[in-house]
Amino acid sequence: MKIGIVLSGIPKYSETFFHYKIKGLSEAGFEVKIFTGDKRQKEFPYKQYPAYPVLSGKPLRQFFLTLIILIKTLFIAPKRFLRLYSGEMKDGKSIGEILKTIYINAHIITHELDWLHFGFAATAIRRELAAGVMGAKMGVSFRGYDINIYPLKNPGCYDRLWKNVDKVHTISEYLFQKAVSMGLNSKTPHEKITPAIEPDKFKIRNSDGSLGNRIHILTVGRLNWIKDYETAIETMKILKSKGISFDYNIIGSGSELERLKFAVYQSGLENEVNFFGIKSHEEVRVLMMNTDIYLQTSMQEGFCVSVLEAQAAGLPCIVSDADGLRENVIDNFTGWIVKKRRPDLFAKKIIEVIKMSNEERLEIMNNARARAEKDFSIKLQNEKFRNFFLQI
Amino acid sequence: MSADKLKIAIYSGDIPSTTFIENLIEALSEQEFEVYLFGKLRRKVNYKENIKLFPTPQSSLRLIIFVILEGAKLFIKNKSKFNKTIKQLKNKNKNKKSFVRNLGFILPVLNNQPDIFHIQWAKTVNLNYELYNLLDCKIAVSLRGAHINYSPLNDPELKKAYEIYFPKTDGFHAVSKAIAGEAVKYGADKNKIRVIHSSVKDEFLLSNAIRKNRNDIFEIISIGRHHWKKGYHYALDAMNYLKEEGFKFNYTIIAQGDIPEEILFLLNEYRLNDHVKIIKGMEHVKLMEKLKSSDLLLLPSVEEGIANVALEAMSSGVTTLSTDCGGMNEVIHNGENGFIIPVRDPKSISGKIMEISRSDPETLLNISLNALDTIKTEFSREKQKREFSEFYNSLVDG
Repeated sequence: MKIGIVLSGIPKYSETFFHYKIKGLSEAGFEVKIFTGDKRQKEFPYKQYPAYPVLSGKPLRQFFLTLIILIKTLFIAPKRFLRLYSGEMKDGKSIGEILKTIYINAHIITHELDWLHFGFAATAIRRELAAGVMGAKMGVSFRGYDINIYPLKNPGCYDRLWKNVDKVHTISEYLFQKAVSMGLNSKTPHEKITPAIEPDKFKIRNSDGSLGNRIHILTVGRLNWIKDYETAIETMKILKSKGISFDYNIIGSGSELERLKFAVYQSGLENEVNFFGIKSHEEVRVLMMNTDIYLQTSMQEGFCVSVLEAQAAGLPCIVSDADGLRENVIDNFTGWIVKKRRPDLFAKKIIEVIKMSNEERLEIMNNARARAEKDFSIKLQNEKFRNFFLQI
Repeated sequence: MSADKLKIAIYSGDIPSTTFIENLIEALSEQEFEVYLFGKLRRKVNYKENIKLFPTPQSSLRLIIFVILEGAKLFIKNKSKFNKTIKQLKNKNKNKKSFVRNLGFILPVLNNQPDIFHIQWAKTVNLNYELYNLLDCKIAVSLRGAHINYSPLNDPELKKAYEIYFPKTDGFHAVSKAIAGEAVKYGADKNKIRVIHSSVKDEFLLSNAIRKNRNDIFEIISIGRHHWKKGYHYALDAMNYLKEEGFKFNYTIIAQGDIPEEILFLLNEYRLNDHVKIIKGMEHVKLMEKLKSSDLLLLPSVEEGIANVALEAMSSGVTTLSTDCGGMNEVIHNGENGFIIPVRDPKSISGKIMEISRSDPETLLNISLNALDTIKTEFSREKQKREFSEFYNSLVDG
């Protein structure tokens, strides 16, 4: 079976999810082709087909390149070209728009595929008809940003996607429900396949559930507003005012560093809060081993693989009630869930966890690790992906 | 007559500059000063005759001709200065383009040296540190907002530049006492800092406070561009609490630029679309009308120098509620001429709003009167003019 996966770029090192997925499918005997917005990368060991470039600021060159690509496509795949043309026409698009759309789809529609799968909903925009004209099934993955945020800025952006998609992969049930609330037919076949981990790679720091004298608190994630580190920092301010000895370590980089450093400075936490920047998977695991409590204060999450990894490492996890996190952590069983944007409640919960007996903490840590191993293994994920493309 | 006048260069990079810098230029030109403006001419301007423009051209060809002519002028006037300038800028600029652009900035300054070169944005100290090595006049630096309050926290190079050049600066103008305190941490001499508050234009000043008739729905307004430091995300948390309390209100944010994802997300999350309206900018006259018709100006910021919009609200009889950030507590005294709450504390915002809405009209009228009084005595155009005059004169005398 031939599967084309459309991504905005070659998956980054940190996007383990895609790497696992592509590897799993290849190993299961599927022929996988990756369509990306990036140039070909040697280190990435799969068949890559970059999109034709958008040459901003060079209208003349863009014109001729587009002309050549359109003629080439018409020559190689005349029927598909015309089907796409008439399909777009039916949707009321202007000729200029249609030709642009064909250019955007040209690197895909000349291939023979059984499935055309979009790695993000947003990558399917203006490519809603591609699978249809190729006679392939259309799949799409729902992740946090493209369902939670992108439509807020672009209302109605998925209307054509909802009509054309054959099967949906969602990383959490709530994302699917959210899509339904935005117009997706609730009967659209869908499969929840969460991110996964390799449990053997995670070791537990201590097995008796005890904490150090100075509590090490950790968060791993981009420095982006949606992670709501301001709430985490405010929480630390409360802990400090209660005389608790702790440090708060943040792994990740992003555009909000200045904002967060100012929050730390304004809250008088320069000695407690550390920004580590980006770290390798190995370094993250080492830091996790030296962590007492994992914290995730996000305003919203699709699912959040960092929290899953922290549970697999056997860390006591305190997370917000962001929708994806409520499927990731079971409250009072594999961790604790706190109302988002409430530093007072996060601080209260952290203190509660610190005061707990070692046995109580250990029970939760063991539950979390056992559940991560059982329900979120790479092996299980690979199986689910295989079935995703085999059954409809 | 111009021979006796003190020549002050007001440098912000752009001509014309931001509203408050333009206000400063106007205020200075009404006095015994001659004002020099350097930088890029962004659009046509109409200034009084004692404001002199020395703009640097922007298109490449004109810039090159400009640099050759200005260079020749300096070479004839002062050959050693010319050589020193070329040497300095060659060391500083790795590529030709930035070298020429840099020359285009510095040459007209050297050919038309003022008595005081007043840098409006502290980051210039890092970008154009050659000013310190090449100018023979006094250098003053304004201490404003982000440039002092948080940029150096995340920019080690900027921090280093402040630590080198602040001690070499002849005088500082601080927009608030709070920011003066921050600048001292980077080596600014406390005794060389003069706190001069901004002013409210006389035409905005209400002659007297008016008693307001309260509507059923409490009208709250915030004004200021979209930026994290404005704290609109905390304001929306507070609006969510108000909504949960069943409090009747409308909240209007007037802000330039696109609405950030974070704000869109919270509006959607809290389902506040019926209560909150975000307007993308407004011309000033309409803005003032909208402000005057509101029951409360909310300033939810986490960082400010002293926010002009608060001064404008106080001068037009609108109750003002501000976070305790930057120099805001130098203007507002809680319960006397407005209200102050801690930063980053949405519960305090919503609590205080409800409290204010329940206050009796007499109390609020008194607060408005006091606010008006504060503006008239502390933030008047006359006071600002006098203080700048003293500041500049002390620089050349000392």
